[in-house]
Amino acid sequence: MFFVLKTMAFHLYFIRRLLFVIPTLFGITLAAFVIANAIPADPITANLPQSALNNQEIVDAFRERWGLDEPAHTQYLTYLKNLLRGDLGVSIKTKRPVADDIRQFLPATIELATAGIISGILIGVSVGIVAAVWRNSLADYVARVFALVGVSFPVFLLALALLQLFYVEFGLTSGPGRLDVRMAKPVARTGLFTIDALLSGDWDTFRNAVSHLILPGLVLGIYVSGIIARITRSSMLEVLGMDYIRTARGKGLRERAVITRHALSNASIPIVTVIGLSYGSLLSGAVLTESIFAWPGIGRYMFRAATSQDFPAIMGVSILIAFIYVGVNFVVDILYYFLDPRIRNP
Amino acid sequence: MVVAGIVMLVVWTLAGLLAPVIAPVDPLQQDVMRRLEPPSNVHYFGTDELGRDILSRVLYGTRITIPAGLLVIVIGCTLGLFMGAIAGFVGGIWDEVIMRLSELFMAFPTIILALAVTAALGPDLKNAVIALVIVWWPSYARLIRGLVMEVKTREFVEGARSIGASSPYILFRTVLPNCISSAIVLATLDIGNAILSIAGLSFLGLGPDPTSPEWGRMVSIGIDFFDQWWMWLFPGLAIATVVLAFNFIGDGLRDVLDPRMKH
Repeated sequence: MFFVLKTMAFHLYFIRRLLFVIPTLFGITLAAFVIANAIPADPITANLPQSALNNQEIVDAFRERWGLDEPAHTQYLTYLKNLLRGDLGVSIKTKRPVADDIRQFLPATIELATAGIISGILIGVSVGIVAAVWRNSLADYVARVFALVGVSFPVFLLALALLQLFYVEFGLTSGPGRLDVRMAKPVARTGLFTIDALLSGDWDTFRNAVSHLILPGLVLGIYVSGIIARITRSSMLEVLGMDYIRTARGKGLRERAVITRHALSNASIPIVTVIGLSYGSLLSGAVLTESIFAWPGIGRYMFRAATSQDFPAIMGVSILIAFIYVGVNFVVDILYYFLDPRIRNP
Repeated sequence: MVVAGIVMLVVWTLAGLLAPVIAPVDPLQQDVMRRLEPPSNVHYFGTDELGRDILSRVLYGTRITIPAGLLVIVIGCTLGLFMGAIAGFVGGIWDEVIMRLSELFMAFPTIILALAVTAALGPDLKNAVIALVIVWWPSYARLIRGLVMEVKTREFVEGARSIGASSPYILFRTVLPNCISSAIVLATLDIGNAILSIAGLSFLGLGPDPTSPEWGRMVSIGIDFFDQWWMWLFPGLAIATVVLAFNFIGDGLRDVLDPRMKH
């Protein structure tokens, strides 16, 4: 009975969350549309060659083909109607359905963002714990400077420095791209090269894909580790001052158990929140990192869409990013449920 | 750390102000006979693909990237202050309109917005600044609105009103001065971000033209000459140290004004 009530509460919660998504997404489409129409940009000059611009017939045909001859509100309503059927329209630049484009570019970004958040957690949480446990020591000071350096270094400088050091000088990792040029792509199942290679038991490809992931993953990891370290430090400090930590120490627990089991698990809520937000920002496309590492992800697609005034693609990506944030927040909320017994049994 | 930040900032400011005096040569002067030279006694930071002196370019770049970043913050903050003050003080329909407008800009992914605006207006430093201001003002507007709404219920505001002070007088003389310090902390913490964003846009080719010694642009040109590491390392380090200086200062300022973060 208790269980049924609880799952019902969970279902209600789930449905309410889903309902909240609708106005957000509606707002995003409207925002994207208003802004796309307000900026004095002309997709015609951005996408037709100079020779075609002089030919009125071609210009008219282009305008009609992409619905640019309709009034703005008609364009928007048509867009919404298509969106409800899962149709994001056709990209002006690639001439392919935006949904197909996203399906093609998103896996590369998911793979990179995941590598980035894993290294970000490893670096950020450990630096944060060290800083909190040895508060006001040299280690704390170094950790604090590290966190500030992490957010101050331009991503592109970090990327270039790591490439120069680990790829050019020492040859420890692979360079730009997702795989060596000589490598064949693994059979596409998920689009994530590492997973696909594992699924088909192709160890060479797997190793190669991982070695291509290390540097861009590390760049993004360092980038997000600053804020993760900062939050870990401050929430650990708060918890370490609690009575139950003194009790745990008093009953003779080893310091390691006190810190990992008692302190860290109680400090985890803010840490998980900031990790979720960081993952969201990495998933929404790291334009600079992707462009330096020639990574064919959402960031590159977005950059191309924005610079060529490709409105359907711009709107598609904006909606995708809104979805990503809503999804990440949702997962974070579910994690709270598991991490904090007070949320489970109020 | 604050001291380190201030020292770094003073050094960079002096470097920028004195660039014409201390730079070895004109940052635009080409010398094709000496292109892509590594750092040496003649060219301390080496030369680029057109034989221009990188040290001189980095020094002159101070006059582009830092003011552009500051400009984003100053304009964004002023616009946000103005909008937030109207929304919070006047309220009603103005509040609704301004808040919905700010949500509209905030809901939109920052980087796409900035990219779309610069791409639409044309790649140019001025347009990069405009793009970032459009992205930047809503967070200030929302902060100021919240503060104004809180401050305007205080007794001294009621006092001013009861002695017959006009609304603009109350807003500018009693309410806003009490909101400004929080906005300044947020702004200081944001300067580093703004400089990084300017450099990032310019790195993507959406900043000033390629001949200009803008740091982000220099790094992106340096990528084509990847093995000539001095071409991208020095301008990159320039950005990093300037941003670090502002972040050191901002961090210290927050500690002083928000003791909860200090521990």
